[in-house]
Amino acid sequence: MAMSAVARDTVFALRRQIAKIEGTLPERLEVPAPSAPVDVARSDITPEITIVRRGLAVASPDAFLRTGIEHLDTALGGGLPKAALSEIHGLETRDAGAVAGFALSLASLILREKQGLPILWVGTAEIFREAGFPYASGLHALFGIEPEQLLFSEAPKLLDALWIAEEAARMTAFAAVMLEIRGSPRLLDLTATRRLHARAQNAGRPVLLLRQAGEAEPTAAPVRLIVSAASAASRETVAGPLAGSIGRPAFTVDIGKSRTALPGQFTLEWNPDEHAFEERRRGEERRPQEERATNPVAVVSASARGADPAPASGAVLAFPAPGSPASGDQPSRQQHPAHRGPRRTG
Amino acid sequence: MISHRDNNTQRIAALDERAEALKLKRGMGIADARAMHPSIDVVEADAEADRRLLEGLADWCDRYTPLVAIDGEDGLFLDVTGCTHLFGGERAMQDEILTRFFQQGFDVRAGLASTPGAAWAAARFHGDRIVAGGEEEALLSPLPLSALRIAPETRIRLESVGLRTAGAVMAAPRAPLARRFGATLLLRLDQALGRLDEAVSPRLPVAPLSVERHLAEPVVLTDDIERLVSRLAVALKSDLERRGEGARALALLLFRVDGAVSRIAVGTSRPLREPTLIRRLFHERLAALEQDIDAGFGFDLVRLSVLSVAAFDMLQGDLTGEVSDDDADIALFADRIRARLGEAAVLKPVVVESHLPERAVAIVPFAEAPQRRMPPNRPGRSAPPMTIYPPERPVRLFRSPEPIEVPATEMPEGPPMNFRWRRALYRVARAEGPERIAAEWWRKLPGEEEAPTRDYYRIEDSEGRRYWLYRQGLYGASQTSPRWFMHGVFA
Repeated sequence: MAMSAVARDTVFALRRQIAKIEGTLPERLEVPAPSAPVDVARSDITPEITIVRRGLAVASPDAFLRTGIEHLDTALGGGLPKAALSEIHGLETRDAGAVAGFALSLASLILREKQGLPILWVGTAEIFREAGFPYASGLHALFGIEPEQLLFSEAPKLLDALWIAEEAARMTAFAAVMLEIRGSPRLLDLTATRRLHARAQNAGRPVLLLRQAGEAEPTAAPVRLIVSAASAASRETVAGPLAGSIGRPAFTVDIGKSRTALPGQFTLEWNPDEHAFEERRRGEERRPQEERATNPVAVVSASARGADPAPASGAVLAFPAPGSPASGDQPSRQQHPAHRGPRRTG
Repeated sequence: MISHRDNNTQRIAALDERAEALKLKRGMGIADARAMHPSIDVVEADAEADRRLLEGLADWCDRYTPLVAIDGEDGLFLDVTGCTHLFGGERAMQDEILTRFFQQGFDVRAGLASTPGAAWAAARFHGDRIVAGGEEEALLSPLPLSALRIAPETRIRLESVGLRTAGAVMAAPRAPLARRFGATLLLRLDQALGRLDEAVSPRLPVAPLSVERHLAEPVVLTDDIERLVSRLAVALKSDLERRGEGARALALLLFRVDGAVSRIAVGTSRPLREPTLIRRLFHERLAALEQDIDAGFGFDLVRLSVLSVAAFDMLQGDLTGEVSDDDADIALFADRIRARLGEAAVLKPVVVESHLPERAVAIVPFAEAPQRRMPPNRPGRSAPPMTIYPPERPVRLFRSPEPIEVPATEMPEGPPMNFRWRRALYRVARAEGPERIAAEWWRKLPGEEEAPTRDYYRIEDSEGRRYWLYRQGLYGASQTSPRWFMHGVFA
């Protein structure tokens, strides 16, 4: 993470130059506020630096779905884009519950604005068999999504699932479309995701691409979040936390790719009563020390761009400017072949 | 020449003209025939294939009338009442049918009469004859008894008392005939003469509405077929409008020049009459069936039938002329997916009153799900829940609970300490439960053993993933030790 401001400046200058040549408008993004837990390595970011991202028109703040977690929103450059394809990865199939839970909490946030509209959940027969079929009563209790608002589509093959998702992505009658697949199939390449993304942009509706046990591959989605389960806090009672109980759902969210290219790891808790996210901050102990002693469980990883950054997804490849983080940019055409393989956060 | 096995000997079941010219006859033993003419070619009879061929022909005959019935092993009934004028009269229609069958390579006999019985006799004993109304008696009188469609035993008994033609039976007094030979004989006779009505029961239900187009030049391309579909749908629309109905199921029949018929059906989840929408549904269906439909030399008749109808609710548009109906969009979307991928492609959860988790939510195809009448209107999210502490339910449920291995539990009736699921070991960090769910005794069939109760536990493993496990049965309750299952995962 440590990098000199000079190297960063060079990268930004180059980006600005590229933007000028390509004639696209440079976008100014908000720089993460240096207030909350920013460690020493990051303190070199000063508000004068403007992060420039080419290719996207300057979007209005309304175009983003705010998760309600300030740091996450800032790191994503305003929130999750509403009219776009967003990838939500699970590293293993057994994380399917957490990935689905996180995606559904986003859907629940979307439904706040689009009340009454249904949500379509497209999946291949394989993933529904391996990871379980969505269970409507659980979804209702946790995310407030009525069973009438749910539509499932089970496709025998991935090609069919993609077709259904593409057809659904162009409709405005759905509040959101979720496409869930397993692994890294070749069919779901840059072209396929670009088609989904373009349709989502036209319809102004989010498409959430849930990938279980998938590698990070170049896709057209501007945002990729890597979700895994975090151990839940204890249930709160009047007499304090109830030892040994399992409370609200919690997720660990890593930013794999975003417009700002800022890495980050967050531990979020979903509040099923308020239908809102809450961040679990570092320092807030989940449970009393003595309970941990009796119950030897791995401590949840520290949150909020802390000492332990997001684990790299895929292999690490050489990058020209040493010390600079791999950008969340799409690779340029010349660079592209080198980036066919799995890249670091990109 | 076709052989069949009858009383343990191979006998000739059917033979062509050249075999007939060799003085071979039906019913002759194959061994005898081979002895006479060693070079004959014998094929084993295949009743199933004959049946399929006959059904194919019946499909093709749909082009003349929707009322086609299969008669025995080798006959078809066509109820052409009200259809003959479309083909230029009875004579012209029968000629066309015979010509077309001849061109397809079939040797066909046809008879047309006012009653099925008379037509049957005319076809079998005259070959190509049209019997005018009232002439049935004249037609039947000289014919042998087999023209009356009676059982062979009855025929033999009638012949043994000297009644050898249908005319003789007609002349005989009825009461003794009924007493000695049963009511069927007289029933057949009356039906053939038109004294009693006989209904031809069609193979396929008759569509309430159908439109068709005969083509001078056969079409081959899918695009052309789709264009024809939308033209036919336009014609259909006015009919549906007059009836105040919309189509719930549609079938497209493509009659190929050489006699094969393709039948393509689509269903809709709400009544439909808009031609463009009908075309889009068939577009998906045709795309899905691309490999299965062989256009061959082309289709020369295209028919669009409405198989079932439902009342069509008119919708009032606003002053801008826009009718934005999200439900209709979704219904159309679901229909298109269904047309391409089948009934189970779009599913909807329906909450069922049951405490068994797998029964509490039924997953039904979209078209069968109850229509949502109103969008859920929830001004605030503070609506009180039904129960104060609703039971925790997972977000994903396995269709069939997966067995897991539990080596040890903390207490005999407690949660597991670790378990093995899909060959991976999980360490249990925390557990909540049990929630005991008993089987629904009121659904138990008499004599069936009662299913053991399940104790559900919410488990969090050492990596923070949450699962829903259950133990089926109790320790010490029976000889078999309880089994553990994974039933769902939590968020």
